[in-house]
Amino acid sequence: MAAPAVRAARRWPVLALDLRNRLLRLPGLTQVRWSRYGPEYKDPQIDKEHYRKPVAELTEQEKYDLELRKTQHIKAAPATKTSSVFEDPVISKFTNMLMKGGNKVLARSLMTQTLEAVKRKQFEKYRAASAEERATIERNPYTIFHQALKNCEPVIGLVPILRGGRFYQVPVPLADRRRRFLAMKWMITECREKKHRRVLMPEKLSHELLEAFHNQGPVIKKKHEMHKMAEANRALAHYRWW
Amino acid sequence: MDPGRILHTGSRAPQSVAAHLDDQAADDGPRAVSRTSEKDPVKTFGEACLMVRKPALELLHYLKNTDFAHPAVRYVLYGEKGTGKTLSLCHVIHFCAKQDWLILHVPDAHLWVKNCRGLLPSAYDRTRLDQPAEASAWLKNFKTTNERFLSQIKVQGQYVWNKRESTERGRPLGEVVEQGLTRAKSATDAVGVVLKELKGQSRAGGFRLLVAVDGVNALWGRTTLRREDKSLVAAEELALVHNLRKMVRNDWHGGAIALTLSQTGSLFKPRKAYLPQELLGKEGFDALDPFVPILVSNYSPKEFESCVQYYLESSWLQHEKAHTEDGKKQLLFLSDANPGQLERLCAHL
Repeated sequence: MAAPAVRAARRWPVLALDLRNRLLRLPGLTQVRWSRYGPEYKDPQIDKEHYRKPVAELTEQEKYDLELRKTQHIKAAPATKTSSVFEDPVISKFTNMLMKGGNKVLARSLMTQTLEAVKRKQFEKYRAASAEERATIERNPYTIFHQALKNCEPVIGLVPILRGGRFYQVPVPLADRRRRFLAMKWMITECREKKHRRVLMPEKLSHELLEAFHNQGPVIKKKHEMHKMAEANRALAHYRWW
Repeated sequence: MDPGRILHTGSRAPQSVAAHLDDQAADDGPRAVSRTSEKDPVKTFGEACLMVRKPALELLHYLKNTDFAHPAVRYVLYGEKGTGKTLSLCHVIHFCAKQDWLILHVPDAHLWVKNCRGLLPSAYDRTRLDQPAEASAWLKNFKTTNERFLSQIKVQGQYVWNKRESTERGRPLGEVVEQGLTRAKSATDAVGVVLKELKGQSRAGGFRLLVAVDGVNALWGRTTLRREDKSLVAAEELALVHNLRKMVRNDWHGGAIALTLSQTGSLFKPRKAYLPQELLGKEGFDALDPFVPILVSNYSPKEFESCVQYYLESSWLQHEKAHTEDGKKQLLFLSDANPGQLERLCAHL
């Protein structure tokens, strides 16, 4: 994990190591997400290809890095990060967001059922389609998933800024990770709330993913509404100071 | 590996096989599994394929060399979960259907001993219980599977259903089936009559009878059914189970009996149990003894390769890494060449 998050209005820029530690121990600042690892622990190298390179092919720099890592502390790899060829960080993140009460088994099975449902729906469409249409139908559930989430990402967001005792919604450019998070959050909230109690999550999720893939559906609408609100509050843009 | 899917035990009830399998030669390529109707391979691929494997070939060899003058031989397919017992049975049923045998297929005997609503005391024998819903469903399947025999076979006894309806001697069997379908109350008795007639007439030689039961260990296990006074129902107190047990005895000739053991839908049996002695219990084993056991095991390396090739050719494996050697090795490792597990893995890849 990167720098521990601090309960503040925005992220601090990268400070010197000891300055950051002293800052974090100030009164009034509590750590929200923190890890038990100290700053000297390095992230583990999961990639198999990295270790498969024969020693003769390594450059000087890489040999030095290899030797250096032998002396450093390394964090334990999380159970969810595998060296599998089928692993996808976006899918893992989405599964974690889908999880409730730590039930990863259920979240993962819902995810796999969703991907299967998407695949089956596309196969049925493919069967029913004519030869020209078949070239346009995408049957890979992973490309559909990635494209759908990309289509749902907002370009610009709103941030509440306090001025003169009132909170104003100020349009602000979003970081990449914030956009990905918002897309996934909207997708999951939409599927949880706007479905009939008898409809299962994989069915609803697969339907919404397919709609988002074609740039239709409620999540895309929510993204457009966010853009419209940002456009409407254009005049407040000068409240932003970063 | 996804442990969540192993915990998922739905009731597997593959529909009447003859209606679904394609008109293909028996030595066709690889296999797709049908669990529920949303995952029907006919909907997805437009075809339903089976892999031809050794256990099925062995059983077909025995069937081709049966002597119909001798009592019916019982063949029991057993093996661990997900190895392909049900589909081997389906293959055998398909073969026999092509050879114009009369197929008596019970897709899942476990469905008759659990989650049954509407148990009625039997009109024929007051100590037993009727199951109108299950009996009607079976009669419907029986009718679609064996249309042509229903008019050929004539009933050899007189059966009175109630004050107004009865079937005379010499009427076609189709009438008994219709009676069971129209009057739900006499459905179980109609099933009993059908079984009795077929057993009696198979020795005459007009047709060859294949009795195929999936999950036969349900007939000798415990049930989870209770009467209105909350007392437990034993398996032999169900009329359907009683009649089917009689059918599976080897006191008739003119056909064969192919059975499958199944832990998946079974009641009160440990998850790892797969051997006949463990699943059938003493009573069941003694009732089925002597039988020919046929072990169905996981895929051999060639079969695994063939299965993955089929998935790749039909574009079922869409993940770009699935085509690589690394991907295949990973599939082999995760599924341990178990057909059921491989199918579940490839479903979302």
